[in-house]
Amino acid sequence: MRLVSAWILFCWLCLNAPQAWACQVCRPRVQAAIHAPGYTANLGLLLLPVGVLLLVGLGVFFASDIRQRLPRASSHDD
Amino acid sequence: MMTNPTLHRTPLLAAGILLGAGLGGFVDGIVLHQILQWHNMLSSKLPPDTLVAAKVNMYWDGVFHAGVWVLTALGLRLLWAAGCRPDVPWSGRTLLGGLLLGWGLFNVVEGIIDHMVLGLHHVHEYTAQKLPWDLAFLAFGALLLLAGWALVRAGRHDTAVRGAAVR
Repeated sequence: MRLVSAWILFCWLCLNAPQAWACQVCRPRVQAAIHAPGYTANLGLLLLPVGVLLLVGLGVFFASDIRQRLPRASSHDD
Repeated sequence: MMTNPTLHRTPLLAAGILLGAGLGGFVDGIVLHQILQWHNMLSSKLPPDTLVAAKVNMYWDGVFHAGVWVLTALGLRLLWAAGCRPDVPWSGRTLLGGLLLGWGLFNVVEGIIDHMVLGLHHVHEYTAQKLPWDLAFLAFGALLLLAGWALVRAGRHDTAVRGAAVR
């Protein structure tokens, strides 16, 4: 449990780190270009294929449970 | 062919798909982004022709790698769950087929969404003819899907559950 908590904290710190540590000269420009108004759109578009694949994988894993919950169209479809 | 209705192959297949998709994403990131440097995630929108643009692309590559890491980790978790179930045949062919299906799905899904529809980047960004490379990437994905499908079908004959299979 402690290990899981430490891992979650580590991930949270990584995701919420105030800035990427580019060199001091270009750091402000890099930060400004990353956190531009299109940040959320870029994030969504970039993670869209990952999300689709995640849904496919979980859908296949729970396929038999999902099938059991759905009403059967025919008794001969096995 | 008659299949045993008490056995479920989909949990192992799903673990293979997620692991294959995650590892396929790492192949893309490591080989095409970092070693060959053919493209970055946003290289079509923001060409990495300055240090700042290259670093911004590096950031978005990192976000992509974080995403495929999650796929891989979840695949491992599902593999563990499948291994603990007495109704899941422990078939190497099903798992390997799932891995190939996952890698193929990654190529096809990423190829269609990022390369064809959104145009975030192309497989070989720094060439005049981008389309042949994008199509080759998709064709390789389709080939992986076919190979994976064949292996998964062959794995239907494997019925020994975990423990019995390795004895």
